[in-house]
Amino acid sequence: MTTSTTPAGPAHATPATAALPVPGATAVAGDPGARRRGRPGLRRTRPDEADRGALSPADWRRPVVRRSMRLSHGVLLALLVLCGLGPLVLLAKFAVTPTQDILRTPLAVFPNGVAWDNLSAAWNDVQVSRYFLNTVVLAAGAWASQILVATTGGYLLSVLRPRYAKVVQAAVLATLFVPAVVLLVPLYLVILDPPLLGRSLMNSYWAVWLPAGASAFNVLLVQRFFDSLPREVFEAARVDGAGPFRLFRSIVLPMSRPILGVVSVFAVIASWKDFLWPLLVLRDPDIQPLSVRLPSLQATTDLGVLMAALAISTLIPVLLFLVFQRLFLRGAGLGGAVKG
Amino acid sequence: MRSSRTTALALTGALSFTLLAACSSGSDDAGEGDGTSGGKTVLRVVSLLPGSEQEAFDAFDEQVAQFEEANPDIDVQPEEYEWKATTFAAQLAGGTLPDVFEIPFTDGKTLIENGQLADIDAQFQALPYADDFNPNVLQAGTGADGKVYAIPAKSVYGIGLHYNRALFEQAGLDPDDPPTTWDEVRADAKAIADATGQAGYATMTQNNTGGWQLTVATYARGGRVQTTDDDGTYTATLDNDGTKEALEYLHDLRWEDNSMGANFLLDWSSINQAFAAGQVGMYTSGSDVYTSLVQTNAINPDDYGLTAVPLEGDDAGVLGGGTLAAVSTSASEAQKEAAVKWIDFYYLRKLTDQDAAVKDAETLVASDQPVGTPVLPIFSQEQYDESQQWIADLVNVPLDQMTGFTDVIFDQPLVPEPAGSTQELYGALDTVVQAVLTDEDADIDALLEQADADVQAILDKNAG
Amino acid sequence: MALTHDARAARPRRTPVTWVRRGGLSTLVFAMPLLVVFGLFSWLPIGRAVVMSLQETNLVTTAWVGLDNFRTVLADPLLATAVGNTLWFAALALLLGYPVPLLAAVLMSEVRRAKGLYSALAYLPVVVPPVVAVLLWKFFFDARPEGVFNTMLGWVGVGPVPWLQDAGWAMPSLVLEATWAGAGGTIIIYLAALTSVPGELYDAAEVDGASVWRKVWHVTMPQLRGVLLITFILQIIGTAQVFLEPYLFTDGGPANATITVLLLVYRYAFGQSLGGDYGAATALSLMLAAVLAVLSVVYFRLTRSWSQA
Repeated sequence: MTTSTTPAGPAHATPATAALPVPGATAVAGDPGARRRGRPGLRRTRPDEADRGALSPADWRRPVVRRSMRLSHGVLLALLVLCGLGPLVLLAKFAVTPTQDILRTPLAVFPNGVAWDNLSAAWNDVQVSRYFLNTVVLAAGAWASQILVATTGGYLLSVLRPRYAKVVQAAVLATLFVPAVVLLVPLYLVILDPPLLGRSLMNSYWAVWLPAGASAFNVLLVQRFFDSLPREVFEAARVDGAGPFRLFRSIVLPMSRPILGVVSVFAVIASWKDFLWPLLVLRDPDIQPLSVRLPSLQATTDLGVLMAALAISTLIPVLLFLVFQRLFLRGAGLGGAVKG
Repeated sequence: MRSSRTTALALTGALSFTLLAACSSGSDDAGEGDGTSGGKTVLRVVSLLPGSEQEAFDAFDEQVAQFEEANPDIDVQPEEYEWKATTFAAQLAGGTLPDVFEIPFTDGKTLIENGQLADIDAQFQALPYADDFNPNVLQAGTGADGKVYAIPAKSVYGIGLHYNRALFEQAGLDPDDPPTTWDEVRADAKAIADATGQAGYATMTQNNTGGWQLTVATYARGGRVQTTDDDGTYTATLDNDGTKEALEYLHDLRWEDNSMGANFLLDWSSINQAFAAGQVGMYTSGSDVYTSLVQTNAINPDDYGLTAVPLEGDDAGVLGGGTLAAVSTSASEAQKEAAVKWIDFYYLRKLTDQDAAVKDAETLVASDQPVGTPVLPIFSQEQYDESQQWIADLVNVPLDQMTGFTDVIFDQPLVPEPAGSTQELYGALDTVVQAVLTDEDADIDALLEQADADVQAILDKNAG
Repeated sequence: MALTHDARAARPRRTPVTWVRRGGLSTLVFAMPLLVVFGLFSWLPIGRAVVMSLQETNLVTTAWVGLDNFRTVLADPLLATAVGNTLWFAALALLLGYPVPLLAAVLMSEVRRAKGLYSALAYLPVVVPPVVAVLLWKFFFDARPEGVFNTMLGWVGVGPVPWLQDAGWAMPSLVLEATWAGAGGTIIIYLAALTSVPGELYDAAEVDGASVWRKVWHVTMPQLRGVLLITFILQIIGTAQVFLEPYLFTDGGPANATITVLLLVYRYAFGQSLGGDYGAATALSLMLAAVLAVLSVVYFRLTRSWSQA
């Protein structure tokens, strides 16, 4: 993920930022049982399916253990609510609080009434909807580009295996060890003056989409998955007269839904978090995603309106998360799950 | 196999085609290679700061409509724009600047030397008032070959001291009697901080604006941060007494009086925002900033006051600067023609032609946009006074709250910004200002010595 | 097309006709996306990075300067500051971002009811767009006594804390936000790893009469060793390239207290209004890459050995 030059924080070091293989990949690829049942091979990472934890039923029966666990779980829940929910509740409150109240008494509960018009100002003047749409378009394109390159590339390296496959694979693998930061300046110059095209890709979504496709992590992930598919099926299809395209479309792709799901989750999350690269190549405010637009407005927008804009920008992903919670958590768990 | 081969060929073709087509259509949106569309010359121009009020954009759009009506063969496409030292380079290198863009006086010479501005001398000389420019001002956009590459436009400013009249009143101070010495500024700042809990005095510190304002404070105390030698090379003099005095002054306000508030990471727009929100009692910035305070921060005009920067010591002066309008090197001849027409219409004609001035002011007033914000003359002072007379009835900015500035600005010596590697110099001083405001034990002498050496190294490198 | 030519060259004894007949062309169709995208946006820029680090260019004229760019960077007094800050960020991030999620995950794995609620709450901050999180926390970090965090601290009689406005406090503040934004992801990873600890190991330990603490220490932790090591290295690699927080919170301030290596690369390339020093920027990024590549290789080795184990 060459464009992810913005690893945010300590634990943000998901594959998106590190562009490195994750051991979970092998767990998926090497779990044919899950595949046969037509379910994503993520079963073993679902937290709620643990057989047991460190505590045995006998432990739970001991009052000391039970009380201290209840207590620590209570404390943990309180902390999680405070840290996980607290800032978002505050954000929601600021979104409808008059600016002067936010500045003077940020934690007082609406001392001077509610400013609903922050929301409409954010929606109409700041045009959050437009930038949100840009964000979605960016993510969709980056997703498509990554899926296209990863599936065709994986198919090439795993199934078709022409003679030059080894060279290509080595070259792809090598990029895994080159952190995104190296690409920052030269990739920027490539975008400015791309070979063959003859015109700058600056201020075009292609400048984000195409480099996103160059993810060695995805290609190798998909390739390893394809490697684990039963060869007999391919042979049978070939005997039936299926060419490489039929084989790809009708056999390989349908069988690889689980891994495509994983690549998709990674792709969308990475695009969602990307900041520095779109900041550099998308200069036209009309096409910027939220991540680039919001910071450029922070000093020229009324604080209450800015908070409303931030809240609206957060609302949609949070709602999506709550609805598709299980999918998110599975994907995240998979990000680092090690086969036990 | 036959069918798959055909498909393969078709697919290869389709893929490469879509890729190329998509790419070129993508850049079409921004780039218009030949600068025409439907027989019209397309001209991308800078409009307002991102996040400006809707009324400000309405007024701008109205002016675009007027221009296009007068020039039916030109299609003006406005783009939001904010010049920032830390983002401009990427825009310039990326070719994403509009055809007409704005740069500060300080950057004109180097951009011209680097061949990064279009030669618009022919178009410029055709303007009826081409010979009327104040030569000192025009010089900022003139190349070594004597040709004009960038036109002084928008504003020439002198630095003023902006103050919040409401905070003055809350602190028991008379807003009609603003401070005239730095000691009075300090005392008033303390009074405001004690009475209101807001920052009595604040200064910019980020994106090179910290260095810019420290240079202002240096000039005001008779110091200079750079000297030009006879052979045209520059010597950094960051460790001069004026700068030291200015930093010690900030140190005292910050650490002895605690009258500078609690947030010190401010740049041009964030200090404007804090000021408009009533969190800052006084700060120094260009005299034209009121326009932006209205356009982007919706300041309450009643709270706004402007007075002159106190000058103390021999050779003290007010820092003056301004904005140049320049044209991108990628512009075609037709676009250059159109660009200078736009510069004439939007920036300059209202200063030289009574009808244009009145029309411009009426358009702005109709959208409640500020008319009459004090600036310095681009042409002669008489001409400036005359142009102010034309629109006197339409002026809607609180001029009576700005007399502390307007009464004396023409008597104050105006000192231009340092000419050599200006932005690097400002950047080095940012660090010093930040250190003084955030570290009580900051060693001012050592910091300045280090910054001076760093800047001198850059100057030597650029000279050699 | 050069690509076709290369492919042909690899099979010298075949004529183009046999090559096409054997499906070489359709194979090439599948190779195209990968070759084009990697060629243009990965291999080419990597090659250019090496070349550019030896050049001085303003995009119009270019000159070879040997190792001058590396010398310039190494002589820059800011380099030591940036490296120090980046290490400091990494250390703080480990200090905060390592044990806290682990403790939370170990506790959460014992939750028997409403486990989903715990995970959802922990993961919620990860869903917030990172830029939104930074802008929101920037306001939380308001250093006035009326600031959000300072008001809260005031309730317990502490503060006010200068947060971003002090050279000493700025970096910990950044890490605090980064940990908030990222801890949820780590917790979920640990939880997933915890569920894969075989129950029999605990059974066996219980037969030996192990207490709860002994079980956690002697069974859970060793089983997590792999995942812990990997998150450790991933975290180092991630924090070495930290940009968003220092750029948006403080822009490297106050007085360069939060300037990081990547921020320095950005400043070399794009930070000066009159044109960047692309040579110095690529030279510095290559030096950073060399360090990270070593870590990547270690990581790769580890994941390999673990997935094979």
